[in-house]
Amino acid sequence: MPAQALIPAPDILPVHWGWLRLLLVFTFVLHILAMNAMLGSGIIAFVNTLRKGGGTGDTVNRGISRKLPFTIAFTVNFGVAPLLFLQALYGQFIYTSSVLMGVFWLSIAGLVIIAYYSAYIYNFRFDKQHASSSLYIGIAVVLMLMVAFLFTNNMTLMLNVDAWTRYFDTPDGTMLNLSDPVLFPRYIHFITASAAVGGLFIALAARLGAKGPENEARIDLGMKWFTYATAFQFLAGTVFLLSLPGEIRQLFMGQDTFATVLLTAGILLAAALVILGFKRKVLSCSAAVLVLVCGMAVIRDLVRQAYLDPFFNPADLPVRPEYSPMVFFLITLFAGLLVIGYMLRIAAIRNREVQ
Amino acid sequence: MNYPVWEVFSAGGGFLIALISIVHVYVAHFAVGGGLFLVMTERKAYRENAMDILDYVKTHTRFFLLLTLVFGGLTGVGIWFVIALYSPSATSRLIHVFLFGWAAEWVCFTVEITAILLYYYTFSKISRSRHLILGWIYFISAWLSLFLINGIIAFMLTPGEWIETRNFWHGFFNPSMFPSLFFRTAVALVLAGVYGFVTASFIKKDALRETMIRYCAGWLLLPFGFMILFAVWYVLALPEDIRAMVLEYSPETAFYGKAFVVLLAVLFCGGLVMAIRMPHAVKKPMAFFMLAAGLFYLGSFEFIREAGRRPYIISNHMFSNSIEPSQAEKINKSGILKAAKWSRTKEVTNDNTIEAGRAVFSLECLACHSVGGPLNDIAPLTEKYSASGMEALITGLGRLNTYMPPFFGTEKEKKALAEFIAKELHGKIEPDRPAPPAKRKTDIPSFDPDSDEYVLLAWSATGMQSISDCSDILVFQPPGTTIHAQLIKRGPLPEVITRNVEIAYSVEPGFKNPSGQVSFWENAPDIYGRSVEPDTGLAGFGVQGKMAHKKELNAFAAEQVPVVPYPDKDGFMPYPLFNVKAVDRNTGDILARTSMAAGVSTELGCKSCHGGEWRVSGKAGISEATAMDILETHDKNEKTELAARAEKGSPVRCAECHTDPAGKKNGDTDGKRSDSGGILNFSAAIHGFHANYLSGKTGNTCLECHPSRSTGKAGGLRDIHMATGLDCTDCHGTMEDHSIALLKQEREEGKSVDRLMEHLTPVHAESVDEINPRTPWVQQPDCLNCHLDYGPPEMGTAAGFNKWTDDEKGLYRMRSEELGMVMCQACHGTTHAVYPAENMYGENRDNIPAMQYQKTPLPLGTNRNCSVCHTMDMDFEIHHENMTTPFRNDWILDD
Repeated sequence: MPAQALIPAPDILPVHWGWLRLLLVFTFVLHILAMNAMLGSGIIAFVNTLRKGGGTGDTVNRGISRKLPFTIAFTVNFGVAPLLFLQALYGQFIYTSSVLMGVFWLSIAGLVIIAYYSAYIYNFRFDKQHASSSLYIGIAVVLMLMVAFLFTNNMTLMLNVDAWTRYFDTPDGTMLNLSDPVLFPRYIHFITASAAVGGLFIALAARLGAKGPENEARIDLGMKWFTYATAFQFLAGTVFLLSLPGEIRQLFMGQDTFATVLLTAGILLAAALVILGFKRKVLSCSAAVLVLVCGMAVIRDLVRQAYLDPFFNPADLPVRPEYSPMVFFLITLFAGLLVIGYMLRIAAIRNREVQ
Repeated sequence: MNYPVWEVFSAGGGFLIALISIVHVYVAHFAVGGGLFLVMTERKAYRENAMDILDYVKTHTRFFLLLTLVFGGLTGVGIWFVIALYSPSATSRLIHVFLFGWAAEWVCFTVEITAILLYYYTFSKISRSRHLILGWIYFISAWLSLFLINGIIAFMLTPGEWIETRNFWHGFFNPSMFPSLFFRTAVALVLAGVYGFVTASFIKKDALRETMIRYCAGWLLLPFGFMILFAVWYVLALPEDIRAMVLEYSPETAFYGKAFVVLLAVLFCGGLVMAIRMPHAVKKPMAFFMLAAGLFYLGSFEFIREAGRRPYIISNHMFSNSIEPSQAEKINKSGILKAAKWSRTKEVTNDNTIEAGRAVFSLECLACHSVGGPLNDIAPLTEKYSASGMEALITGLGRLNTYMPPFFGTEKEKKALAEFIAKELHGKIEPDRPAPPAKRKTDIPSFDPDSDEYVLLAWSATGMQSISDCSDILVFQPPGTTIHAQLIKRGPLPEVITRNVEIAYSVEPGFKNPSGQVSFWENAPDIYGRSVEPDTGLAGFGVQGKMAHKKELNAFAAEQVPVVPYPDKDGFMPYPLFNVKAVDRNTGDILARTSMAAGVSTELGCKSCHGGEWRVSGKAGISEATAMDILETHDKNEKTELAARAEKGSPVRCAECHTDPAGKKNGDTDGKRSDSGGILNFSAAIHGFHANYLSGKTGNTCLECHPSRSTGKAGGLRDIHMATGLDCTDCHGTMEDHSIALLKQEREEGKSVDRLMEHLTPVHAESVDEINPRTPWVQQPDCLNCHLDYGPPEMGTAAGFNKWTDDEKGLYRMRSEELGMVMCQACHGTTHAVYPAENMYGENRDNIPAMQYQKTPLPLGTNRNCSVCHTMDMDFEIHHENMTTPFRNDWILDD
């Protein structure tokens, strides 16, 4: 049976696919930034507890322990939107791969709940200096790494249509995409990015906070992680690029101008980031990382489309135009952002009387 | 169809969906109501300047945050994940139809978590009024989340106009959207009180604890009336078919409906009790009890709502197994295995039946039924069915049982599915074809054509009398078979003698004690309101005695002779012999003797679908288990209470309600027969109902129930018609044809038959209109339909069906030849065993009189053998046309 014949028929879109692709990439950037900050800072906190150095490690970890529940909440929340638009655009691929790895895919909800509660316990117990603190941050980080691995599996399995026929031997949802040479390089690329952004997140939070030796130490540690991880990315990124199927790799190596320019610009920007990192330029790095992540998200999207190109083009999706719900969504989004802005403002106005 | 099936058989039936959804929904409603609870309670603290209440609100907020944000949020994502695993097609449809509805809900979710996090972390850090604003924003955005998701959930139940317009807003603002929204909002408020009990019960200060618990009781009790009101509105707003599904048809709602009402009462009373001052040691466990009651309350509501949607996952748009009604035709043509992209097995072959059946099961059944799992396990539901019974059940899905979708696919696939369930899951092995019974030697009474003056002909009026032998539970055919006889005085002008003679009959030894075999006589007082002499039939005839003269038949008859197919020694013998003799009443001289077999059987196929085993010797008979299941099924379908009645020792006579023209035949006219009151006659009811399960099958489905299969143990159809390759359907029509004819007659009598007839498509006629109505037992196919002018039928065009005798007098068993002297059956033998017949219990067991008088099993007088009666050759066809034509199918005699 040719694997291609297994691709399910897609459902009808309510708007032009371009809108959805835009929303997908945009919301994915939000998600991956939150996720990087969450996982990266979690990894750094865990490594700190293992080093048992006390001092700077503890200072940094206290900050992380307070922020983790927030970053987890927003990682999950910002994950919902891209997964929604992904299902709308690529439903026939993502639903299929999800079923193939159903047991693992479903376990994500449970794993995140445990990681989340572990992070809260880590936070609530932090000041009490419980001996178990490394245990809870450890559980949280290991589970997050597992979840990330499962996501990498699904995001690659949905593209690896040829592997789908293995369903017939394991229809119970216990498949993973382990045989795909791109799996581990891709995973390591993302974890490395998390470590880098996690470090930057710590440094940025310190930079925006009150000036003082504690925050300087935080910036030092954060920028160290950011810089070394970004430097390591040259190795990890190259391996990832080389692990891609030849015809897709070629697109980024001259065959497709846009893809090549984008990747080259990304690499150059990353090189610049290493230099800025060594110079402890927190704000410049943050701005540049934002640009870089946007660029990488677009590259990721191009890679996905290149994988699917032989048998799928979103332009071929059936459309029954109905734009009013999208307008409704955009209005809701606008109103939601206003309300969030308003809440952040009133929450920032500390009331001394009450205190 | 479109997507691979997640084949976790034990987690089938949506078990994980139910598990995740119910806990999520419970927390999610709390997330809404609890939001209002937080701001209102915070306000109360400020207003009363009660810092201890404010401390409580803080603690409650932490509990709230950890429960709703973490567990509630993630289980919500979990539902999304899990429904996409069980029903990717339906999930994809909901995502695509409501894409921006979900997206807007995501915005609300974002505002919601931002608000609750800020609310929690800014407690006592920002001004009171600003803090309250954060609380209000949280509550409003949480309620808007409910608003948006509720619209989509309600859409699944009542898509309303969307079905035609495919318009987002029509789908969202659907008929049950607002009642559901109001109901859920009220539930959310009630649950805020329920959850409040838990946190309040942990307050250390006694006075404050009591105050807060009482305050929470107020939260529970105040919206309670509204909640009930909105529930009623909800039910009333449902379209009629869905309301009927919820209130009447669904087997699930019976249980969950009761649970819902009971838990409603528990919650209300619990709320009142919580408001009473009680020791802390009682209140704390009580708080958790209330929490559990709330969970089951909301869980039962969600189960009822889902049940209302059956057989769809999106009402009128997509069945529970993700097949869309519009795909039905294509799937039925190509087969589900070919139509499903992700089926490895693509067709049913002789070698892969079980595997193919399993594949069909995962495609069509697994969405709602687990195999050995906790939810909707298929095993106990199908335990009683044989493979053929299972096949029948599957055929009937979506017809009388509108709770489940119809089966989609080919007949072969249906059979494979049935075999997978019966054989693979239940290990039922098709019984080996029974060895044919030992052929017994048939003694042929003597006849001397030169010296004997009389020809005595005797026969059973019905070829095979089926009787129900489970009289402890139910009776639909009492034991009793009717025997006819004619005595002919031989001579050039023979005479049928009816005067001054007595015709005596006696069943062969071994069959004289039917009351020792069946419990009919013990139960007769209960069944008929009068006792019946043991071993005597309802018409007063015993196992031996004198026959009565029937002037209208010009013959003698013994009616309702109580013979059963069980000899005194163990076993099953459906053709007991009767010895018959004619005696001169004046002299006492025996004028003639003959013998005959009376077909009687209890080999009825009820147990294929109703479970149980054969009652007797593993061969025949309706066991108690089978009979009880019949009543239980009747109770379930028709809301009767027959099983309970039978269990109390009062057997059910079907004809009490299902009056039947056959009753007259069975002498069953007295006793408790009442006016049918619009209830179908027995034959129309039993055939009309079961036709929905047995239609569309190739072959002779009559044999699934009637004791006529040649490989069975009775072989009731045993005559020349069978030998020439005809079967029941050639004369009676298929199960559908037969049932339509019976139901149409009932319709003419003003009875309601639409439900039974709706899914029946005629086979031997172009349309339902073309089928002529008929009254059972009174109107039957006429022999002369095919044998025009008593001649040979046109080859290859068996046309017995659809031309009925006008009345009972026209029946083969009641009719005589053209002179009105000799009954048809006298010379041709009994129905379904007309000469020459071949009986599996002995070659000539049905041909005794023919063999006795002619030494050949052919009809009397065949091949111009007129001298049997006339003592000489005759030239003209006086009894009927074509009677002198030579016997055509003499090849039968060579076998």
